[in-house]
Amino acid sequence: MSDVAVVGWAQTPSVRLARESEVQLLVPTVAQALARANLDRREIGFTCAGSCDYLTGGPFAFVSNLEAAGAWPPIAESHVEMDGAWAMYEAWVRLQHGDIDTALVFGSGKSSPSQPAEVWAQQLDPYYLAPLGVDPVSLAGIQARALLDAGKATERDFAEVAVRSRHNAVDNPNAQVKGDASVDALLAEPYVRAPLRKHDLPPISDGAVAVVLARGDRARQLCERPAWIRGLDHRIEVHQPGMRDLTASPSTTLAARKAGYDGGPLDVIELSATFSPQELILREALGLDAGANVNPSGGALAANPVMATGLIRIVEVAQRIASGAADRGLAHATGGQVLQHNLVCMLEGE
Amino acid sequence: MAERCAIVGVGQTHHKKRRDDVSIPGLLREAALRALEDAECTFADIDAVVIGKAPDAFEGIVQPELFLAEALGGAGKPMLRVHTAGSVGGTTVIVGAHLVQSRIHQRVLAVAWEKQSEGNAQWGLAGGRSRGIGAGGAFAPWIRAYIEQTGAPEYIGWQVAVKDRLNALKNPYAHLHLPDISIEKVKESAMLWDPLRFLESCPSSDGACAVVLTDEAGGKRAPKPAAWIEATAVRSELGVFPGRNPVRPQAGVECAHDVYRQAGISVPRQEIDVAELYVPFSWYEPMWLEGHDIAGPGEGWKMVESGDTEITGSFPVNPSGGVLSSNPIGASGMLRFAEAALQVRGLAGEHQVDGVRTALAQAYGGGAQYFAMGVLRSEPS
Amino acid sequence: MSDAKKETLVMEHLVSLRYEEELTPILERYVDALIDGRIVGHKCPQCGRVFVPGKGYCPMCVVETTERDEVEVADTGTVTGFTIITPVAYYGQEETEPFVYASVLLDGADSTLGGQDVVGIPHDQIHSGLRVRAVWRPKEKRSGNAVTNRGWGSVASVIDAFEPTGEPDMDRAKFEEHIF
Repeated sequence: MSDVAVVGWAQTPSVRLARESEVQLLVPTVAQALARANLDRREIGFTCAGSCDYLTGGPFAFVSNLEAAGAWPPIAESHVEMDGAWAMYEAWVRLQHGDIDTALVFGSGKSSPSQPAEVWAQQLDPYYLAPLGVDPVSLAGIQARALLDAGKATERDFAEVAVRSRHNAVDNPNAQVKGDASVDALLAEPYVRAPLRKHDLPPISDGAVAVVLARGDRARQLCERPAWIRGLDHRIEVHQPGMRDLTASPSTTLAARKAGYDGGPLDVIELSATFSPQELILREALGLDAGANVNPSGGALAANPVMATGLIRIVEVAQRIASGAADRGLAHATGGQVLQHNLVCMLEGE
Repeated sequence: MAERCAIVGVGQTHHKKRRDDVSIPGLLREAALRALEDAECTFADIDAVVIGKAPDAFEGIVQPELFLAEALGGAGKPMLRVHTAGSVGGTTVIVGAHLVQSRIHQRVLAVAWEKQSEGNAQWGLAGGRSRGIGAGGAFAPWIRAYIEQTGAPEYIGWQVAVKDRLNALKNPYAHLHLPDISIEKVKESAMLWDPLRFLESCPSSDGACAVVLTDEAGGKRAPKPAAWIEATAVRSELGVFPGRNPVRPQAGVECAHDVYRQAGISVPRQEIDVAELYVPFSWYEPMWLEGHDIAGPGEGWKMVESGDTEITGSFPVNPSGGVLSSNPIGASGMLRFAEAALQVRGLAGEHQVDGVRTALAQAYGGGAQYFAMGVLRSEPS
Repeated sequence: MSDAKKETLVMEHLVSLRYEEELTPILERYVDALIDGRIVGHKCPQCGRVFVPGKGYCPMCVVETTERDEVEVADTGTVTGFTIITPVAYYGQEETEPFVYASVLLDGADSTLGGQDVVGIPHDQIHSGLRVRAVWRPKEKRSGNAVTNRGWGSVASVIDAFEPTGEPDMDRAKFEEHIF
């Protein structure tokens, strides 16, 4: 296995509505990530992007995004219909080949033009689930209910996740939902989809993120303190929510183990928990204790630019390692609903 | 040094306009099970799954690979969904190969599919708007430009259309079986995107394709001959920009030269025994022959005219019948790699070309801007 | 699989998703100019190419462009490539007769306007190199409704089509680089 590190990154502030087009969000983001890595776009060996056509509302939406990468002269490039974290996975695999040294990765999405609850309702089995009108918030509500019924958490626990997220987000210029709230005030709010309240749901966000990877000595040349990817793995579970235990995330546990997480100390953990109960599920899946430094960025409850959210978790860990604030971190990304597909990235300073 | 990678199992469905005998999971499993059977292994032997498909809007399901996890034995495994427009089937094989070449996994199942009858691709392509240009509308002006630039006679496109459909008669999986196909029939068929006529255009098919990829040890002990992946490359360029040559896209030229270099090929016309090229509209056969420097400028159509690209010719192109005979969009690119693999393995049955040792597979997508290519051989180099 | 053909249950599931997106500020300016009878684009400060409409960046150089880079182009130009499309029925399709789909290179622009209709000339006489001018709607009938952030309808609802000017054809060499 070749040593690959994150040597450059950039993200846009997540906002409820960006007036710029998705490509306009990406152009400066990609440029900044390259600049941080001290690379010209023409030096990049492989580019991979993550996005979702249905967010944009048109087929081949990702084709325009190519313009942000600078696809002239022609480039070696690919795209996944998944969060940018998986685009990074593909780029990391490509770098293992040994013939190229650098890769550019980006993820982007504007959730503002559509109703996410409608769009993601089509992200389900088209024969058995979608026609029932199952929407993502209700599904997350069912997961939350299962947690409560199993005695694994309380609504207060959910609210505490939200309070911590907003509090941490105050220090994050890119976060959208931030501030100091009290658990009791939040619990006094009405349900949106019992037992979920508004604070348990992610915001609707527009945003973009870019990452530059480099291999071996090249990484050391480009970056003073690269964030080395010590392990990267992802696993999917069965889709039918009725056929798995929604209160646990065995794929996260498995992905973490395969990524080399041995349960040892972690200075920073960034989890893609888009609903507050999911943070509790993921903490348990990773065996994190109560004092763990989870989501110092505010996490996905503070900003959820779908298709970028997972890659942003990786950036948040990487930048803390690069600055010296952390030595060892874990970033998690998720795909599908109620934690069906999970990716874990272990990052370390040298 | 990268690990070697071989295709040891190939499977595809019977491609049809409507496969109303199977659901989407059923369609994919038909191809996947055939590939696993060909490789004499089961889902349990697979370490990772890579899925490729054209725009989700074609079937109206957001990220359909998610609900297919169970059907493809994917639970507990890594699953990736590649989407690079029409070239996706090819890119899917390449991503699968990378997983093996990097030594991350030993056996990967790559699957690509389209069940267009369960959606509406015309609507999907148009984004629901009026004045949709359909699949051929973007390409017709470039085909016209190729004809004007080279002075090619009008019957070249018709010749390719006939050749591929006659080849398809030898391919039991092909969608179109048109035993009465003839130059006259093609010439008289309805004009769709001037100058492309109905019978010069690909059908809309339901279908799936799957391949099992493995490492050197797996390739050597495979029950049947393996197809060795000697070279892979992808290239993309902007679809629209001043100075673009959409007739001979630079990305296509560079992608081809990358695979030729990796495979040690200096004269493709002589060193490649058969090619499966993504030809959804007849004229793309001469255009890709030139676009990948198999024929010189203005010489591609002459290869067609002289019969070089016939199944019995000196440079057979699309002995399977190609995209012109079967076009489950997401799978079409993978079918090129799968058919190239069958050729070098000697397992292409009635449409087998004699003595194939080296095959070229090519898929393209978008505004002829995405390219995925590979060179496969019957023996590892 | 059993020998008897199983009857497959088929269900129709119609889904409607609504997408509403405001035009980007650059396109808003572009539409205002269009309604005013002017066609504007952005000129890249690095390579000097003019893109109509402007995108906020030059796709060749990947540098940002802004209002400061706005330039006006003529409403005359050249057909650089085209096809005649026989329409296919699908939900949303309004066309029923074969229609022209042409790329027009406006004088002063480096990018082409795609998907334009060409009128005032029989379909079988349309050819690359044909010199054309915009057929503008009367001012009171102009709107930006059909212009989108996605690149669809770049002049629609303001300019309905292009018609021949009667000038001699443009020399092929001059537009070979712009056939799409």
